Amino acid sequence: MKRRLRLAAASLYAFGALGFACNATASDKRDDRITSLEEKLDRSLKLIEQLGARVRDLEAERAGAETAAQASQPTPAQQTQSPPTPVQAAQSAAAQSAAALAEQQRLDSVEQQVAQLAAANADRGGRGAGVPLHGFADVGIGNHSANEPDLKGANLGALDIFLNPQLGEHTRSLFELTFEVDEHGDVQSDLERAQLGYQFSDAATVWIGRFHTPFGYYNTAFHHGQEIATSLRRPRFLQFEDQGGVMPNHTVGAWLTGTDRLSDGRLTYDAFIGNGQAISSGVLEPRSGGVEHGAAIYGGNLGYVFGNILNGLKVGVSAFRSNISDDQPIGGITLDRITRVDNAGVYFVYDTDSVEYLGEYYRFNDRDLTDGGASHRSSAGFLQLAWRLVHVTPYARFERAVLDQSDEYFSLQNAGTSYYRAALGLRFDLDEKSALKLELARTKNTDKAVAQWTDALLNYAIRF
Amino acid sequence: MPNSAYLATARAALIALTLLSAAGVEADIAGGAATLDLLPPSWRDDGGDTLRLQALHGQRVFVTMAYTTCHRICPMTMSRLNEVQRGLDVRGTRAEFLIVSYDPTNDDAGAWRRYRTEHSLTRRNWHFLSGTPADTERLARVLGFEFWRDGDHVMHDYRIVELGGDGGVRGIIDSAHSNWQALL
Repeated sequence: MKRRLRLAAASLYAFGALGFACNATASDKRDDRITSLEEKLDRSLKLIEQLGARVRDLEAERAGAETAAQASQPTPAQQTQSPPTPVQAAQSAAAQSAAALAEQQRLDSVEQQVAQLAAANADRGGRGAGVPLHGFADVGIGNHSANEPDLKGANLGALDIFLNPQLGEHTRSLFELTFEVDEHGDVQSDLERAQLGYQFSDAATVWIGRFHTPFGYYNTAFHHGQEIATSLRRPRFLQFEDQGGVMPNHTVGAWLTGTDRLSDGRLTYDAFIGNGQAISSGVLEPRSGGVEHGAAIYGGNLGYVFGNILNGLKVGVSAFRSNISDDQPIGGITLDRITRVDNAGVYFVYDTDSVEYLGEYYRFNDRDLTDGGASHRSSAGFLQLAWRLVHVTPYARFERAVLDQSDEYFSLQNAGTSYYRAALGLRFDLDEKSALKLELARTKNTDKAVAQWTDALLNYAIRF
Repeated sequence: MPNSAYLATARAALIALTLLSAAGVEADIAGGAATLDLLPPSWRDDGGDTLRLQALHGQRVFVTMAYTTCHRICPMTMSRLNEVQRGLDVRGTRAEFLIVSYDPTNDDAGAWRRYRTEHSLTRRNWHFLSGTPADTERLARVLGFEFWRDGDHVMHDYRIVELGGDGGVRGIIDSAHSNWQALL
């Protein structure tokens, strides 16, 4: 097209020049003709200018079309092709549509894979990832050790490993493996809890194994991990057997527990039976491997959790009986002596966002079955008041134990002394998984080994 | 969104999901637009009515888990949710708040009603929910709430997950992601 336009322009120039030459000799008519020719020439020049402008416009349009074609069809061969015919354009559109459809199908496939993976991930539960490992640990510093008043300085508390694998819809399990340092600095390990259970419903779960004896509230509410407890340490008479306690905190046997909704509140119950404990080398021993003479412990716990009225309050009663043997040599003779321990207790807990009040009281009515059935009465209890502030929980606790020293159940236990203890403490929640606790306490042993001392203790406890 | 960008996003989500699955607990955050759809669809609220999560599509949703007898971590979570609510109010933005019970055995509608009354959490866009134990565990897994039980105690962390209008995870508030104002 460009070439044709140029030829037309040249022809116009030639035509004008030829016309001017042929009419140059006619003088009269020359001026008219010259004028006419000038007019024609002017018109021709204008036409040439218009055609030139049109050529430039067409060239610009073609250049733009070629650039667009290069962008969509980058192969060199296609760049040199002439503009597509309608058939070619239709074929190209069909090809583009097919490509878009394929891409959409691919996208749908990817989305489907993502959804399937996410759903499978949500469905797999903890089974695919193995058994989650949880635990607690704590360390301390003080002018006395929290559980060993004869020691002072820094001390390791416990490393408490928790495993509670999910085995099925009704099968339950819980294992608590604890590593602790004894008074000689040696690391001791203990399978504190190992229980397998079957949950029939909320109202009934049966556990078999080694569990925390369900008396009172504290013993089942708080375990060996100190982080979950408000206070720095357990009440002294409720300490675990190898840490200075005098109660049979652990039982190896069977335990039925459950809860039942009432109109306003909940009823909780526990019933258990297990191996009767023994006193060995001055320490209560749960007899995890079994007993020789069929001695047993059995008991129960009944509690009520208030609903609308007094929400946060739980009250309850508990009782147990255990035939507890000891192998302590008396007068150079080692005999299997048996004491029947009858214990009855009452407890309450009032736990809200602002306060935590705990109280327990136990009466012992023990009978010496070896020496004619003499009975002995003792008692122990504590009251703890804590106030939950933002990140800080101050607490106060008073404990008292009056233990009959003519009762072999207490006299043969190293820690079986009467005492009182008053304590003030602070718990700082450093974050959601760690707490720093401070406690000042005054303790006085009032019989057996009379002594008194003041504790200033710091404890750093975590969970994971 | 152009197809190519959408495809790239989906691929990234697929890769991230696969890597997270291999990594363990945090794998259970299911990123992308499907998260809301992965949650158990219906829950019982504190009024005793059924709340269907499908009805929340197109809305911003803040999800947390709690239980009524928790007195240490859950109050902190509620306090932070209140701060988020106030921040949204200042901006004139609306969102739904879901508080799902860790302890559905004990937290029935009545227990939740007491809880929200005692804690003055009476906004109508706050929904206190309980489901079956299986649904509770599934929601926790999908949204990354790790918890375990020991007796009456439920061991858990402080965590809030925000879902965007497309149902995907938009943000997380926990001890490692404390800049909650950035989500507003």
